[in-house]
Amino acid sequence: MASRARPGAGALEGLGLGLLLWRVQLQMFTNQTVRSRQAGRIAATVTGAAVILLAWSWEGFITWLGVQASHRVPVRVDTVHVLSVAFLVYTGVLVFSSLVFSLNALLLNPDLDLLLAAPRSVESVLASRMVVQVLRLFLLSLLFTGPALVLLAVLNQNPLIPFAFALLFLLYPVFVVVIISLISLLLVRIIPVGRGREVLTLFGIALAIGINVANFLLNPALRDSGFGRRPGVAPSLPDIPAASSSWFPSGWAGRGAAAVLSGDWVTAGQWILLLLAASAAIFAAGSVLSGRLYMAGWIHAVPPRRRHATPRVRRLRGALPLLSPVLAAVVIKDWRMRTRDLAQLVRFIMPVVFLFIIFGLRFPRLLGAVRGLGDGPPAAMIGLIPAWILLFSLSISLGLSAVSLEGKSIWVYAASPNSTLRLLQAKCWSTALPVASLVALAALAAEIMIRPGWLWAVTAVVLAIAEAAAVTTLMVGIGAVFARFDWTDARRMMHPVGIFIGMGLFSMVSGISALLLGISIALAAVTRFPLFTTWLAAMTISVGGAVAVAALGILFGNQRLRGLEVG
Amino acid sequence: MLSTRLLTKRYGSLTAVEDLDLEVGAGELFGFLGPNGAGKTTTIKMLVGLLRPTSGNARVAGVDITAEPEQAKALIGYVPDAATLYDKLSAREFLEFSGDLYHVERRLRDRRIAALLKLFDLQDRGDDFLSGYSRGMRQKVSLASALLHDPQVLFLDEPTVGLDPQSARQMKDILQDFCREGKTVFFSTHILEIAERMCTRLAIINHGRLVAMGSLQELRHMVGQDGQSLEQIFLELTGSREDDVSGVLRGLES
Repeated sequence: MASRARPGAGALEGLGLGLLLWRVQLQMFTNQTVRSRQAGRIAATVTGAAVILLAWSWEGFITWLGVQASHRVPVRVDTVHVLSVAFLVYTGVLVFSSLVFSLNALLLNPDLDLLLAAPRSVESVLASRMVVQVLRLFLLSLLFTGPALVLLAVLNQNPLIPFAFALLFLLYPVFVVVIISLISLLLVRIIPVGRGREVLTLFGIALAIGINVANFLLNPALRDSGFGRRPGVAPSLPDIPAASSSWFPSGWAGRGAAAVLSGDWVTAGQWILLLLAASAAIFAAGSVLSGRLYMAGWIHAVPPRRRHATPRVRRLRGALPLLSPVLAAVVIKDWRMRTRDLAQLVRFIMPVVFLFIIFGLRFPRLLGAVRGLGDGPPAAMIGLIPAWILLFSLSISLGLSAVSLEGKSIWVYAASPNSTLRLLQAKCWSTALPVASLVALAALAAEIMIRPGWLWAVTAVVLAIAEAAAVTTLMVGIGAVFARFDWTDARRMMHPVGIFIGMGLFSMVSGISALLLGISIALAAVTRFPLFTTWLAAMTISVGGAVAVAALGILFGNQRLRGLEVG
Repeated sequence: MLSTRLLTKRYGSLTAVEDLDLEVGAGELFGFLGPNGAGKTTTIKMLVGLLRPTSGNARVAGVDITAEPEQAKALIGYVPDAATLYDKLSAREFLEFSGDLYHVERRLRDRRIAALLKLFDLQDRGDDFLSGYSRGMRQKVSLASALLHDPQVLFLDEPTVGLDPQSARQMKDILQDFCREGKTVFFSTHILEIAERMCTRLAIINHGRLVAMGSLQELRHMVGQDGQSLEQIFLELTGSREDDVSGVLRGLES
């Protein structure tokens, strides 16, 4: 590997190699979509394109409304500052996505070895990765802002607006991508072999929680909403004064963008040129530095830590004495896989975190409002809403992925002397047990705090557990029908059609349960039957219906698995 | 112990295996040879019940693998070519799981696991996650798992790939001991030297069809030249030509 070429040569070669890689990625994309010759994939591509067109139309409409409103009600806005803040916020997104991309490229993608084995300098290979990432971010920026920019060009009679913004979108990510790529090379040094996926998942979680908490705390649309807005408090956007400093790239991009919008092309050109010069310099320096870091051995990750079974781990062996050894073996194996793989563990934890964010931060006011309903089924059932949201999230994420969890190791079970129905039984246990337990805890906690009367509360909790078991079983069945065993990324475990059907059926079960609750209350009022009797009858019908649908789901799932060939 | 009658597997217009008739007796170490894409893995997957034959049938110890798959699978041990194992389980946990799937009584299972880990020199790494294992170590775990329930027939798809010479030798010894107990080993391999030295009988498959079956001596008679090596017989029967290869390589140079 020649790595001592003249300065800048690696960056230039990296640019060429990056464009080559990008072309290959586009080829792979078209091969998997429009050229796949598979009806399902082509339909999904057309649907995806239709969704994008719809979103673009909506964005265009909103932009048009905004421009019209600004003509009628003149608002004094510091365009430079607003755009600089927007670019600074975008920097946050760039940092996270670049970190995930860079670590992914270094730790998980096998093609890095392929590229390094080619007669290319290390600098150019690492620089090509940066180029691919910049191009990807550039296209994403255009995808999100394209219609608004085109409309602004039409309304301002300035056809150069989209091109100038495209140039900004192409140049702005460069410094972030380069810096993050260098940091990734250092980070790889402390990430043990085989833990890359976990680390990437951690970043993903941090990003998701960060976005949600920031949205909840800062979004003016969410502030002071709910049960009444405080009078006299005008919603406002968060401000970051340093964003428009002329020393920061966000300030350069903000100034350039503002000048483009106002038609001041000389000023725009100056700032864009500054951004271009800085980006080119940092890209060239970053390419050389990344090559040096790589050659200095930074890429060599630390070896995996040796592990010794603890008494806690060994205790699991006799944990499920009531189940047959085969069922218990699958349940314990699934539990170990889910809890040891961060990407899997997230499926447990994230719903609880979001539930806390959604309800926890609004808790006192919500609790007061529900308590105001007094004793009876409405308060008891409203108390189940957090548990229901938890059930939705957990049953979809765990139930639908239960069978696919086997992945390429499905041969181990398929070669064993056990039926597919037994596998489904085991999967129902392995998912329904934790889901029903967590749902029961959430329901119990809510009912204790709401206190709708003990009889109503206990019945509501029992109902929640029964529905949780039935719905999760249903999701296992759907997951079996749409099982995928060829995934390498945990996010690809679930089939989109399966998710769609699962969500649809969950909504149906929820809607019918709510309808039955309403009917039971009305029936009690009209016929003067005891409310508890009509409610219990209605809820029994609801659970019975869910169980029947779940049984059907398992039958369909079993049919699919029986036809499965592990080729 | 193992027999197939007109075993066929088709994928649409592609015939992977066609009218395969095999007969393998108890105590035999049977080598299944063929060039890449000849249908070896497809055949083994049909014999262990992972693929359903398009037509024909296969019996293991008299049990039809298609009609009574669970009974047949209880008699079979299977080691795939590139065993995908559960990365987040340790070798010991994986073997426990495997033992439970094959209904091995727990105390017996734990005893056998300890013995197998020792046999494959994995006792010190038994509690490490499989994600940290090399290909050869995974192959050992896979073989240990296949032996755990004491099967009657052991199917191995390219068992020596990824093994160091010492481990390959160890595996050969284990397979020969297994056959001495009156059990059957059916394995595919590309390494003809191993097949030549180990196997009691051999079958050669090409383009999905059986082209020869018998002992090494019988195969020599078949091609009409005594004293030929298995490699020469293989090349003769599968139509591969060394001079073809040389021609192509010369073409690349020019």
